[in-house]
Amino acid sequence: MRIILMLIKKEFLQVFRSPLLMSILIVAPMVQFILFPFTADYEIKVLDIAFIDNDNSTLSRQLIEEFSSSTHFRSKGMIDSKSYADQLMKADKIDFLVEIPLNFEKNVMGQQGTTIAITANAINTVKAGIGCGYVQTVIGDYLKETAENSGMSAFSDNAQLFTTNIYWYNEQMNYKNLIVPGILVILVTLIGAYVTALNLVREKEIGTIEQINVTPIRKWQFLLGKMIPFWILGMAEFIMGLFLMKLIFSITVQGSIPVLLTITAIYLFVMLGLGFFISAVAENQLQAMFIVFFLFIVFVLLSGLFTPTEGMPEWAKFINYLNPMSFYMDVIKKMVLKGCEFSDVKIQTITLSVMAVILNTAAILSYKESSK
Amino acid sequence: MQSIVAKDLTKQFGTFTAVNHINFEVEKGEIFGFLGANGAGKTTAIKMMSGLLLPTSGDALIGGYSIRTESKQIKKHIGYMSQRFSLYNDLTVFENMQLFGTVYGIPPKELKQRINNSLEELMLLDKKNSLVASIPLGWKQKLAFATAILHRPEIVFLDEPTSGVDPIVRREFWKLIYQAAAQGITIFVTTHYMDEAEYCHRISIMSDGCLKLIGTPDELKQQMGVNSIEEVFVKFVNR
Repeated sequence: MRIILMLIKKEFLQVFRSPLLMSILIVAPMVQFILFPFTADYEIKVLDIAFIDNDNSTLSRQLIEEFSSSTHFRSKGMIDSKSYADQLMKADKIDFLVEIPLNFEKNVMGQQGTTIAITANAINTVKAGIGCGYVQTVIGDYLKETAENSGMSAFSDNAQLFTTNIYWYNEQMNYKNLIVPGILVILVTLIGAYVTALNLVREKEIGTIEQINVTPIRKWQFLLGKMIPFWILGMAEFIMGLFLMKLIFSITVQGSIPVLLTITAIYLFVMLGLGFFISAVAENQLQAMFIVFFLFIVFVLLSGLFTPTEGMPEWAKFINYLNPMSFYMDVIKKMVLKGCEFSDVKIQTITLSVMAVILNTAAILSYKESSK
Repeated sequence: MQSIVAKDLTKQFGTFTAVNHINFEVEKGEIFGFLGANGAGKTTAIKMMSGLLLPTSGDALIGGYSIRTESKQIKKHIGYMSQRFSLYNDLTVFENMQLFGTVYGIPPKELKQRINNSLEELMLLDKKNSLVASIPLGWKQKLAFATAILHRPEIVFLDEPTSGVDPIVRREFWKLIYQAAAQGITIFVTTHYMDEAEYCHRISIMSDGCLKLIGTPDELKQQMGVNSIEEVFVKFVNR
């Protein structure tokens, strides 16, 4: 016990004396929290829009006017031909083209239904999809208003259905609410796997591990002496992340914090085990970095942070069963945004626990005090 | 009583034989010099005897324990100083000694006492709280030696402990070695300095993984009909 405490003390002394590591531990989470959510924002602020008005009526002009008053759109004015619109779109001058058909006013007033063509630049599918929604909303709102003003109560009977969307757990459809908890996951992963793997390989590289290996120290004592300090650092980092999340984005944890902390603690052990396993395999810091980096990218892409896991092909879903990050990401989303109970994340917790045991066993087995 | 008994100790890396059936014995309290050209297999032999490397065949008894089956026991009874300085540069002198002393199970109070005594002997007391990175190489080597014998091992392995340090520090270092030997600690030391070889009670010369010569410095000089160990070495290696 005294040996392990001594090793923990040694590790903390070294961490606090390393300006680089300290700045990584303190500055990195802040930068990630402040920068990342804004760059990964799916909300579209300004869309450039142009119109072809074949009707040239009061109603069509009013509709076009409606777009100008919306903060989401910047009107690029009227266009004569589709070919010119094509040129504009190619030059990235416009994102959307709204084409109002001939007899638009007549058909609307006569309640005969009409078709407005919306053309979107779909190079950026997200922008196109969300933008189309905005355009439809503007048109829909306008028609509804017109109908009410002119007393055409029957307007809605005419197969005209106005939908209202309510997004659960993320009512403003704010992408930050999704990405910010994701950053928590990335933070914990980086401390767990990256920092520990590099730390241990560094001891190999500078030869201090040899001096440790000739002592009667046991493998498990040495690994615990490494693990506990980095586990504490990881938990501290996570708690700091929760505070930053509240402070900057006003996101509070909806579920139980003790449960969240417990699962985070388990996830950290998974990552620590992975880090140690990698450090046993890698010969130098460069190799360790490449391995961690490769795994990290795979983990993140499959984790469901950027794209929902449900939409992934079967083989990717299968790989995800081996991806600890996807389980933890799921837990974080459920606990932070949905306010789930422990019973809702039981399977994830069990899976992570099993992974922790397997990886740490592998780490202990692969750590060699003496070589062959 | 023998501190070290090597029996046909052999280490192969693939097809390359680094250490080839070496046999020797070292008495308790003896200063045993292990000489050889670069790449002769000295470090490999030391690593096997200190439990860092498993032998391919043969065995060695260190303090009566087999390196094949009882390396855990061996580790309690030996000290080791690597060719490469391997204390923690980002810990202070005291913290390093405290760490390794604790690892060897020295009780806290006694450990403090021992560290203070040891630093006093080394005249390093004023550097007690300095980071190891900040002290000169010669002192680092003395510190590494003091740390390696802090737990009073039966045997200490020193792998080129004086390479790269100035002659004054080398002389001081050998004073420390003599002091330790006087306390009954067996010293197993490799070196490239032939004057240092003369300080040893007995020396052996290794070449291409084999132990070619073994005896007291005087015996070897007589045997080869020369006046210094340096001549013995040159004559031998050129042969």
